[in-house]
Amino acid sequence: MTQIVPFWGCMIPLRYPHIEMAIRKTLANLQMELVEDLPFTCCPDPIYFKARDQFDWLVIAARNLALAEERNLPLLTVCSGCTSTLKEARFLLNEDENLKDRVNTQLKKINREYKGTVNVEHAVVYLRDVLGYDAIQDSIQKRIENLRVAIHYGCHLLKPSQIMHVDDADYPQLLSDLVKMTGAIPVTHEEQLLCCGKGCIDDLIPYEMTSDIFDSVKEAKADCLGLICPTCFSSFDLGQKIIERKLNKKHEIPVIYYFQLLGLAQGLSPEEVGLDQHKIPMKGILD
Amino acid sequence: MSDKSTEVNFEFRQRLNKIIGGNHHNFCYQCGACVSLCPTAKYSTEFNPRTIMLMALLGLEDKLIAPDSIIWKCTNCYTCYERCPQDVRPVDVITALKNICVAEDRAPDIITRYSAGILDTGVSTPLSVAIAKRREKFGLPKFNITGYDEMKIILDREDSK
Ligand code: SF4
Ligand code: SF4
Repeated sequence: MTQIVPFWGCMIPLRYPHIEMAIRKTLANLQMELVEDLPFTCCPDPIYFKARDQFDWLVIAARNLALAEERNLPLLTVCSGCTSTLKEARFLLNEDENLKDRVNTQLKKINREYKGTVNVEHAVVYLRDVLGYDAIQDSIQKRIENLRVAIHYGCHLLKPSQIMHVDDADYPQLLSDLVKMTGAIPVTHEEQLLCCGKGCIDDLIPYEMTSDIFDSVKEAKADCLGLICPTCFSSFDLGQKIIERKLNKKHEIPVIYYFQLLGLAQGLSPEEVGLDQHKIPMKGILD
Repeated sequence: MSDKSTEVNFEFRQRLNKIIGGNHHNFCYQCGACVSLCPTAKYSTEFNPRTIMLMALLGLEDKLIAPDSIIWKCTNCYTCYERCPQDVRPVDVITALKNICVAEDRAPDIITRYSAGILDTGVSTPLSVAIAKRREKFGLPKFNITGYDEMKIILDREDSK
């Protein structure tokens, strides 16, 4: 059993608990033991909350980091937003001693300290770098046949690479490799690195971006879109309904979070990984 | 451009320099590498991270610090950060500019509304009865936010507004 501290964030447990269910089941199949009694709060969000006040953003993030640091265990994120906040906060604090001192002055009020030793990674990076592909291979019970999964990286897993250190930001390989492990066919496409647009405050631009991503996915003849972030999930699943209304375009491309796909390959049923909870159904595409 | 509009507002730039990430705007030499793959620049002809950096260098406060400022259309995708040869981190400069908007009460409502949720509860999404029930149905542990009190304490600081 490998011990890790999961950082669930807000969106997965409070909006998409079916994704949490899929992650928990797949991690259990990978013999990972979750240490969960840490009093986390929101990471906090790297777009709106950070736009409000970066110092507050940094202080809250530093507290979350310090909690895992006290246990000397790696922190595992399942949302690209949380990953971005926690890894960038760590980078900024380690880069600027003065800033770190100011943040620690705040943490001292609750008898905590951020030292800078904690490791944070998105769960998919942990699968590759710590657990290893062999361990994933060993957990596979039922390879997924004939499913073409288009890859969507999202922005905050890879960029900025001087902070993330995950993969080549222009020619990434990680998600294709992970999809392959399940038996499904990873499909790269023209717009696989385009942003889901969620951070842009505009009535149309975010939907034009996601709609173009769907066109690119269709062009590549994929059956569904695979991703690793709940914000991207919302932009693409619920987002298709909004695109229908705003742009008068119907795409009907189901979306799958990576751990749901891995769960299926581990022999879990579509319901056990929560596929019945999606706006755009997966039905008819599996089997 | 009239003479007046080309005068640099150094006072504004000093203020920007003091915010996390804000001082990096000084390194911009206007090469435009940040523009080529900027998604918002592709979808909006008005948006351009290079010109936003130029506006910061000139200290065009009235244009930048407003609820309808072009900066709010940035997606925070970090592509410009990845591309910039000068470590300007344009997206971080944009975030620093947003911080000034908020301090001046010149930000879109959504920013304060959304942030208020986190400040009031410790989470960005409220725990509804429907979700609590769904969690139970899925066999998930009860969702408790236990870090809220500590969060409140660390946010209290001398210089806070
Ligand atoms: S921000 Fe960087 S990439 Fe963009 S114009 Fe300035 S120096 Fe060039
Ligand atoms: S972070 Fe903003 S400015 Fe930078 S490339 Fe993305 S959308 Fe453009």
